[in-house]
Amino acid sequence: MLVEAFVLPKADLGSFVEKLKAGYEVIGPVANDPEFVFAPIDSAADLRLDYDTTILPPHKKYLAPPKETLMTFSGPATKTGEPAPAGKQVLFGMHACDVNGMLSLDKVFLGTYPDPYYKARRENTAIVGLNCTAPCANGFCSSFNTGPGMDTGFDLSLTDIGDKYVVCVGSETGKALAAGLAPAADADRIAKSKALRASQEKIERHIDIDNLGEFMHQNVDNPVWAELKERCLACGSCTNVCPTCFCFAVKDQVDLTLVAGERPRDWDSCQYLEFSRVAMDHIFRPDRAARIKQRLYHKLTYFAQQFDGSPGCVGCGRCATYCIVAIDPVEVMADLRDNPGEEKAVKLYTPPDKKVTPETSPWEPLPAKITAIKQQNYDNKTYTFSFVDPAVQEKYTYGNGVFNEISVFGIGEVPISISSCADVKGAFDHTIRAVGNVTKALDKLQVGDIVGVRGPYGVGWPVEKMKGKNVLVVVGGVGLAPLLGTIKYIANHRDQFGALEILYGARSPKDMLFTDEFEDLRKIPNTRLLLCVDDCLGMEWGHNIGVVTTLFDKMSSKPDNSIMITCGPDIMMRFAVKGMLALGWSPEQIYVSLERRMSCGIKKCGNCQIGPIFVCQDGPVFKLADIQGLPEAAL
Amino acid sequence: MVNPKVAFFKFSSCAGCLLNVINIEPVLLTVLSVIDIEYFVMAKRDNHHGPYTIGFVEGAVTTPKEVLELKKIREECAIVVAMGTCAVTGGVPSIKNFSGMNQDQLTKTVYAENIYDPFLASIPAKGIDHYVKVDAYLRGCSYDLGEFVELIKRALKGEDPMFRPHSVCNECKLKENVCLLVSKGQPCMGSVSAAGCGALCPSLNRQCEGCRGPANDCNAASLAKTFMEDLGLSKDDVVRKFRKYAGNTPEFSKGAEAAL
Ligand code: SF4
Ligand code: SF4
Ligand code: SF4
Ligand code: SF4
Ligand code: FES
Repeated sequence: MLVEAFVLPKADLGSFVEKLKAGYEVIGPVANDPEFVFAPIDSAADLRLDYDTTILPPHKKYLAPPKETLMTFSGPATKTGEPAPAGKQVLFGMHACDVNGMLSLDKVFLGTYPDPYYKARRENTAIVGLNCTAPCANGFCSSFNTGPGMDTGFDLSLTDIGDKYVVCVGSETGKALAAGLAPAADADRIAKSKALRASQEKIERHIDIDNLGEFMHQNVDNPVWAELKERCLACGSCTNVCPTCFCFAVKDQVDLTLVAGERPRDWDSCQYLEFSRVAMDHIFRPDRAARIKQRLYHKLTYFAQQFDGSPGCVGCGRCATYCIVAIDPVEVMADLRDNPGEEKAVKLYTPPDKKVTPETSPWEPLPAKITAIKQQNYDNKTYTFSFVDPAVQEKYTYGNGVFNEISVFGIGEVPISISSCADVKGAFDHTIRAVGNVTKALDKLQVGDIVGVRGPYGVGWPVEKMKGKNVLVVVGGVGLAPLLGTIKYIANHRDQFGALEILYGARSPKDMLFTDEFEDLRKIPNTRLLLCVDDCLGMEWGHNIGVVTTLFDKMSSKPDNSIMITCGPDIMMRFAVKGMLALGWSPEQIYVSLERRMSCGIKKCGNCQIGPIFVCQDGPVFKLADIQGLPEAAL
Repeated sequence: MVNPKVAFFKFSSCAGCLLNVINIEPVLLTVLSVIDIEYFVMAKRDNHHGPYTIGFVEGAVTTPKEVLELKKIREECAIVVAMGTCAVTGGVPSIKNFSGMNQDQLTKTVYAENIYDPFLASIPAKGIDHYVKVDAYLRGCSYDLGEFVELIKRALKGEDPMFRPHSVCNECKLKENVCLLVSKGQPCMGSVSAAGCGALCPSLNRQCEGCRGPANDCNAASLAKTFMEDLGLSKDDVVRKFRKYAGNTPEFSKGAEAAL
């Protein structure tokens, strides 16, 4: 069907903008000598429609601004912010790359657990796009078909054909905005097509996107990355200016009362060392080369794997323009294509298909009361919580192995797995070690104190698939917390499962969790519990000494009709998985639980990514076969 | 509730960081309602001895006597804060560490021989964590007042303030400043310097001089190369840049060494 099109003589641009201003705040490109930025304008005279690019992408600046308050609190009383902007705005003169970048950001912010702030702004924002008839110097949009012209994502799009613009209608809103304009003649439409074709031909920079995802996965170890590591300053400008970068960090701010404050999110960058930092200063992505890879892989392939094929790079060229040391995706790709790594079979990642649209704001922690605290060992306590509102508690169900985000207001939020069994009604447990700011604050709380809880989040242990099978549980240290609920579930529904065998290793006897429940575990019919420690510290110890894999000789589990589930430190899981594979177990029957920094739990902040995976929503429990061989997975 | 006792101390420095405390007027009274300033020679007449809850220390340590005083401060204060770049990295006083002269030559060059006094005995200028454990850092010449207030709040709550140690470019980009380096060819150090100042200098059209010291895992060697190869700075200029505020740090040393 022919797109509805009108013409706007350039001489009439001023009155067109005046008309827009009656209903909208008009935000367009203005000079910030010698560059350009999007800003509110008074009249069309401020507009610089000849701009090449802007420092920040307009949609990011005005739909997902650098700082946003997610909620405010006063003591344990919380309030999520009203989605801020009541007024309507129009982004006037957005280029095709940015319109497409916005469509990609929509996938992030409007997908599972829609973000109320982005959503409210998006609904209040009209888009008047501007097709590029004079392409910018660094762009390579045509490689991804995200420019120089736009096909979708706008209410109106303008194309300069000399003394007038051809105005195409992209929505009902656009149609209303175009009211009063003269229809475009065939000649105008032809002029538009010609102008865009000529523009496309002027674009000299290209990325070869043939088999791009597979190609990238084949080049994880290409020497190009080591060279880039020497150059990159880790400054993060590239991600700030990128129209599809969405990552953010969350940190509570208090006023001088120390009890009232707000929880803002701020743009973050995977180029920073602390992006993947968790308590005790553990950094999951310490190597700068790995961080550069994270960005370029995310842009060029992971994003598409994560968000239904949407482009993670729209070829706007900003990262190359604003990088001090001129790290440029076009050059990097050309270098890789010149010296490609070995061609090998590559499996791209498909996230589990699930969409959650909660009734309340996903940023609102609900008050929950501590009803019991039990000291587990010298540095772990198990807290039992119940939501203050009985109706909330009544409705609250969770799978075994999933997690909640727990808030101590004024300090922050931490993701913690649920250690009680999904069968338990009316309460839920978390076993917590006081190692970071939030967990140390939790450590000081008493029975009766209130915290905030969001959740449950994530995919837990595959209990349904385990039914009818033997279950082998391999655990290290505090990894027993996310597994205990499942073990109890098996005990509660004993006839639905085959043999149960638990191999539990820890550094020393005093590092073990739930020791007072071991007798009960041993009493579960058809169950074995084998223990080991690295060092018994001179204590009486009637079990194995050594790492958990040394128990493999003693275990009776066999691969047939069995599922192995494992949780513990990365290194322990790596050895456990390796050992099991050597014993003939298949990656289809092994499940692992992974840990990363998780600031949101709902596939928004980006902190928890491992290659194309979001640990918070695709996991934390993964089938080994689904993640084996993926970059960064290290299993 | 008893307010925590706070003390302010000074070593080799310009006293600007202490003076800066008084600049928090908009929130000064509120801050004073939650802490008691027990010792602050610059700002009040009656000063009291420790112990203190928080000790803010300005200045680099440049004499053996200061080392002893600092150790006493450490004993008296539950929380020791290095306040300002001199106390954090050695700051401007640490420029002398790279003069290439030994102590005797330095003394003779700086002071006329006839006024020499053992009181002037001097050692290489270091940040205070060279000698004692430091609990928190307020970077900057001078530090950001917002961070100062934030640090007090976190200390009162018993928390690590965890100021984000990323680059100044981050804050600069969020303000959509025209990049002084990329667009104007000026040797701005923002890309390797720690933020928290709100990109103060670049926002006023001045290059970042790196007064807050290195950003986390920054790549000073690469920036030094850019300064020389792309912007045409001399070797000496590049070395001076990386040794102006934080030459003692391993990160900025790499910038200076890359130029040498
Ligand atoms: S690629 Fe360039 S812009 Fe990005 S972090 Fe590295 S130096 Fe900074
Ligand atoms: S990766 Fe670079 S070129 Fe691609 S969209 Fe982001 S800023 Fe633009
Ligand atoms: S992880 Fe991806 S979206 Fe997030 S900052 Fe890095 S490149 Fe951008
Ligand atoms: S002006 Fe300086 S601080 Fe700002 S972006 Fe450029 S290099 Fe970074
Ligand atoms: S995206 Fe925020 S925790 Fe996963």
